[in-house]
Amino acid sequence: MMIRQRCPAGPDRELDGLLDELAADVPGGPLAVGDPRIADFLVGFGRTLLEPALVRRHPELAPLGFFLRRAELDAQLARIAEPDVAGARLMRFPRGLVFHIPPANVDTIFVYAWALAALTGNRNVVRVSPRSGAAAELVLDRLGAALADAHPAVAATQKMITYDRDDRATAALSARCDLRVVWGGDHSVDAVRRAPLAPAARDLTFPDRASYAVVSAEGWLRAAPDERDRAVADLYNDSYWFDQAACASPRALYVVGTDADAAETRADLFARLEALLAARGEPLDPAMAVHKRVAAYGEAAVGRAARLDFRAGDTLAVLDLADPLDTPRGWLGAGAFPAATLASLADLAPMLGRRDQTLTHFGFAADELAAFATAVAGRGIDRIVPFGSALSFAPVWDGYDLPREFTRLTTVGRPAQARR
Amino acid sequence: MTIAADPGASAVRDFVFARTQDDRERHLLPELRRLTEHHRANCAPYDRVLRALGVPAGDPGARIADLPWLPVRLFKHHDLASVPADAVFKTLTSSGTTGAEVSRIHLDRQAAADQTRALSRTLQAVLGGRRLPMLMVDTPSVVKDRRSFSARGAGVLGMAGFGRDHTYVLDADGRPDPDAVARFLTAHGNAPFLVFGFTFMVWQYLYEVAARHRFDLSQGILVHSGGWKKLADRAVDNATFRARFAADTGLTRIHNYYGMVEQIGTVFVEGPDGDALYCPDFADVVVRDPVTWAEQPVGVPGVIEVVSALPRSYPGHVLLTEDLGVVHGVDDGHWPGKRFSVLGRLPRAEARGCSDTYAESQGDKPA
Repeated sequence: MMIRQRCPAGPDRELDGLLDELAADVPGGPLAVGDPRIADFLVGFGRTLLEPALVRRHPELAPLGFFLRRAELDAQLARIAEPDVAGARLMRFPRGLVFHIPPANVDTIFVYAWALAALTGNRNVVRVSPRSGAAAELVLDRLGAALADAHPAVAATQKMITYDRDDRATAALSARCDLRVVWGGDHSVDAVRRAPLAPAARDLTFPDRASYAVVSAEGWLRAAPDERDRAVADLYNDSYWFDQAACASPRALYVVGTDADAAETRADLFARLEALLAARGEPLDPAMAVHKRVAAYGEAAVGRAARLDFRAGDTLAVLDLADPLDTPRGWLGAGAFPAATLASLADLAPMLGRRDQTLTHFGFAADELAAFATAVAGRGIDRIVPFGSALSFAPVWDGYDLPREFTRLTTVGRPAQARR
Repeated sequence: MTIAADPGASAVRDFVFARTQDDRERHLLPELRRLTEHHRANCAPYDRVLRALGVPAGDPGARIADLPWLPVRLFKHHDLASVPADAVFKTLTSSGTTGAEVSRIHLDRQAAADQTRALSRTLQAVLGGRRLPMLMVDTPSVVKDRRSFSARGAGVLGMAGFGRDHTYVLDADGRPDPDAVARFLTAHGNAPFLVFGFTFMVWQYLYEVAARHRFDLSQGILVHSGGWKKLADRAVDNATFRARFAADTGLTRIHNYYGMVEQIGTVFVEGPDGDALYCPDFADVVVRDPVTWAEQPVGVPGVIEVVSALPRSYPGHVLLTEDLGVVHGVDDGHWPGKRFSVLGRLPRAEARGCSDTYAESQGDKPA
């Protein structure tokens, strides 16, 4: 089974050879949680992502750069440190070998998960999709450059590879890893799960999710024009980065309020978004334009969308939902907003389930959001975050605390007393 | 609503490359407007789309280019028919680029007859009225199972009726059969004969075999379709294709055509000069700007919309394709109306999402 070595870059090689190399002794000794050899490398790599010229071209890489600052990494390590309790210690160690299957085309999400797995001392193999986009290529480039200054332990333990459709490669990696991290559609998760893991190994899966934006009409109408413009810019980033296809990208927009307030809010919000799109002047790729038309017309054909409104050269499509709670969860293309009005935030609760991930909000009071979370009662929605934060990766993702998932605990000394 | 009882007859007259663009606006537009209302009345999903777009009932557009279009891929995701299910006589399917995506086109008895007649009148313009001996650039296996209407099989089967004494250029295993071609030419090569096939197969199997064996195809009339993508790798474009056939086999009467299962029966045919595709009188094309969807001026490439008065049993009379093309001129070519070329296909928009990390690579298997 030949694989392509993306980082460290190298000639195509046999997967078995790579796996043997990963099993060998690490130069300078085994990696620890928070290993300085890895941390220094991550910080150096993150710095290169914040170069102004790069940020202009790939603004989606800047948050990753910030995420990899020393203070941020230290804060993550401090957060998972276990305090000594009554003479007993819980020591945290890496799980071992982590096999990542990241999403094909959300160019950077795999870097966050891998970085946390590396920071916690794991050896990692990341299968980068052969279809990965420009930002992913750039990330691999920068990783390669950062490796040059890094301790040899980094190149020996961190491998980004690519292989085409090959169930044998997935099977071999699955059999050898201690933790398998699978991102992507339900089909992907099912396909990968056909490859057995070692008995003590486990999966961490991130299947299909859908996310929504909610706006309080009262809050919107109260907001000053510049605040509304900022909100629209945030909504733009949440939605148009990754072509609205990330799990956390809002796939529908709900305005909460009276009919009159909601209508005014909606008209103003979409007018501002249209103005922003016109000002940016980035034409829609023709294939994307056709895709959006196909998707939107399809929603109208089945009666889910009562009205279609294409604006700003099709960069914005607004679909009026016939039934607010019957919204297409699938991907309609970049810049497509099924939209509806709700009398109260709680009206959204009945449609939410495990599939639903992120709610981005504007104009609500904290207690309204908490009341909503209580109404949903954990059946769905893992994150309720303000406009502009949909794609901000957090170490707690999809309800998992990743640094904890990437480590295991060893008890030293007298075990904590269990009450009998 | 009343509609022309036999649209095939009204749409297809003796010589089907006769209407100027003004004639089309004058005669074709009213038919298309009536068809739009017919489909609205008989296909609820179609009506819902037009209502959602705000197209007023009874007034779908003042020019052909104003009529509302459906994206052709909609037929891959939705069953759209304007006849009751029990009136469906034949359901055609297209082969999609990925195996899962297939258009389903429903024809009732009338629509099936109309499309056959329209195709026949269109091809008579280049073939004449007689059935000619026919060389099929394909394998007989492709039409073995008549129930599975693969695009290739349907094409071959649909064309077979225009010829007689069919000879296949490939044997049942798909290997070139030069002896069969030689026998055909001995029997029929001294008078006009028909050659049909898909463009890349015509090049790969007929041209290469005929050139090697120095076959004389000078009496042939070649009708071919299927796009140039596979030949682009071999640096063969339409001009090269025609020049090499003429120089190495004597074949000069060559007509490329453009059509799709979603508008079955309507084909846009290359004129005798080989300069461009022309629209039969019951059809038209509109090349659109992919950002504004406005009609492009002559000479400016865009996305091709195909228009035809034929589709009555499903709302396929105005379809936005995923092909890129350009109109070269209007009423200024060998035949009247628009003349245009197909330039290639739009790439598929890919979900840049968390979805399909792994399954996507499984989907790449050839269909």
